[in-house]
Amino acid sequence: MASDAAALDALFRQRLVVCVGTGGVGKTTAAAALGVAAALRGRSVAVITVDPSRRLKDALGLEGLSSEPRRVALGDGAGALDALALDTKRTFDRLIARVAPRPDVAERIFANRLYQELSSELGGSAEYMAMEKLHELLQLGRYELIVVDTPPSADVRELLTAPLRMTELLASQAVDFLKAPAAIITGRESSLMRMTLAAVLKVLERWTGLTLLRELSDFAGGFEHLVDGFRTRAAAIDEALRAPATSFVIVTTPEPGIVAATLAFDRELGRAAFPITGVIANRVYDFPPLAPDAGKRAPAALHRKLRDNYADFAALAARDRAALDALQSQASAPLLAALPVFEDAPTSLAGLRRVAALLGASAPNRLTRRRRAP
Amino acid sequence: MGVPPLVFVTGKGGVGKTTVAAALAQRVSQRGRRVLVVEMAADGSLAALFGSEALSTEPRHLADRIDGLRVDTRALVESYFRRLLRLPFLAHRLFASGTFHAVTAAAPGVTEFVVLEHLAHWTARGWLGRKAPYDAVIVDGPASGHALRLLRTPRQLARLVPRGPLANTVGRLRALLDDRRHTRVLLVAIPDEMAIGETLEVRAALDGLDVGLARPVLNRVWPRRFSAAEAATIAALRRRRDEPLLAAAGLEITARREAERHLARLRAAFGIAPLPLHEICRGRLDAAALAQLGRRLERGFADDGI
Repeated sequence: MASDAAALDALFRQRLVVCVGTGGVGKTTAAAALGVAAALRGRSVAVITVDPSRRLKDALGLEGLSSEPRRVALGDGAGALDALALDTKRTFDRLIARVAPRPDVAERIFANRLYQELSSELGGSAEYMAMEKLHELLQLGRYELIVVDTPPSADVRELLTAPLRMTELLASQAVDFLKAPAAIITGRESSLMRMTLAAVLKVLERWTGLTLLRELSDFAGGFEHLVDGFRTRAAAIDEALRAPATSFVIVTTPEPGIVAATLAFDRELGRAAFPITGVIANRVYDFPPLAPDAGKRAPAALHRKLRDNYADFAALAARDRAALDALQSQASAPLLAALPVFEDAPTSLAGLRRVAALLGASAPNRLTRRRRAP
Repeated sequence: MGVPPLVFVTGKGGVGKTTVAAALAQRVSQRGRRVLVVEMAADGSLAALFGSEALSTEPRHLADRIDGLRVDTRALVESYFRRLLRLPFLAHRLFASGTFHAVTAAAPGVTEFVVLEHLAHWTARGWLGRKAPYDAVIVDGPASGHALRLLRTPRQLARLVPRGPLANTVGRLRALLDDRRHTRVLLVAIPDEMAIGETLEVRAALDGLDVGLARPVLNRVWPRRFSAAEAATIAALRRRRDEPLLAAAGLEITARREAERHLARLRAAFGIAPLPLHEICRGRLDAAALAQLGRRLERGFADDGI
């Protein structure tokens, strides 16, 4: 299957690779395989996976949900590969503990009923946490390359601007308003605004029976102390995402709906000026036309069935080829690789190595070195 | 019983939720009932399946007795608060402050609550004291995580908001969701580890709620083409010399075996055999196939067991 060796080569020289794409395209597997490939090329790599399947976690040696880097055993001659799996809730706790000015501020937030119910569901929190973990690893400076898998997100801008949006929310008047609604109403806003807010407040009070409002204001009051910390980090993350050594890779499958979503991702990333290096197509059927003597060793009855079956797969292959052609003609970046449908899903380390090989696990120079060895 | 007034078709991205929703809508309309299909994704393909223009936020005719609309959460939040505030200029002022949208997008449950209220409004008899505009509302495509959040919201809000008008609305929504004659969740999966894992998680999470389920659907199942003896012959031939013809058979056999394993897992988790839908390789899903799918889906609601 096709792969763009030069573009892949450039990709593996980067410092940060961000895998984006809609849900269910094998983004996590692609990110893991890119990590394996880079490590097999001798680089020191960390892969941040989001919500990996149990078997993929096993393949990477991540028992339970480990948000700390774990070494993946790749054997001699390889660089180093560390993998970690994102746990939204725990990362959030840690983030708050770290940016809180005093331990009691963090404690107050942890104790809040709203926080407990919602820290894993707060708007954009999964997206935010993926970016936060990335920031943590970048600060650490231990890796030559970091590959980040991202939560499935219909809207790529939502994902990448999550840190900024979170900061915006926390720094906005919303927080002041929720903390002490009365203070705003008696403040220096225009009289029209005062009236509006008073009306809103009254409606909200009637609507909620007040409990919700008090909880919210408590919650917001706790967050107020964190705004500066959030802001600094959001800026750092945004800068890292736009650095010249950063590459975005869009993962897709050849299904028409997914290709359309991928092209939308591509346009949005481009509009937001994020650097797109290319597209990886996953689960592509690839069956050439049959040789005339194909399957002549099989018994006649079976032979007919085999040919029928093959016709189905060839039809799927034709559909996929057309979809990838359309993708290539419309996407802003090249197709880095088309990965086939595997008979056994690549959820073991051996499977990941197989995918890594297709992604150019061995750089040209490495290949020649191996050829020289007996 | 037949298809209830409110059906959530949910599952991981790319499993065929829209196709299932469309087939079900068609079947329900053939029964003489007025159907509204609600698309949750902004860029969904539902309208295209009916050969129609993209959906808008107001009901649009798709086929006989079938209308469709798209949910725009931001607009719903605004319209909800506009109704609450009554005075248009106050509402206008409120929406103009970016703060309002920041708060409602991040505040827990606001969006979900407003969406549920909207859905209920199309189907519930006596809701706001009038006749229900549709006999059935089929919701296409909140991905499972989002669907769970949606279904959980009334309970969460009920804990946070013990009394007041909001609490009353929340109570009504909860009663609608918990009534299995009114609301069912139709889970769609494909024979893929992640999709099945997510389906089983949703199944387990729904146990904590009182929401009724329909027979789950396993889409993109390969038919059983080769007998065990034939599979053995193929394996033996491949060991001697592999070729694309045999490799394709190998893919089919593995895919079918995987599908059977996943069918068994779903059956164990749901206590009922899932409805398998075959992989379509050649051509598109035609009208006859869609109609047949609709009939089979309808039968999946007959059971009251889950």
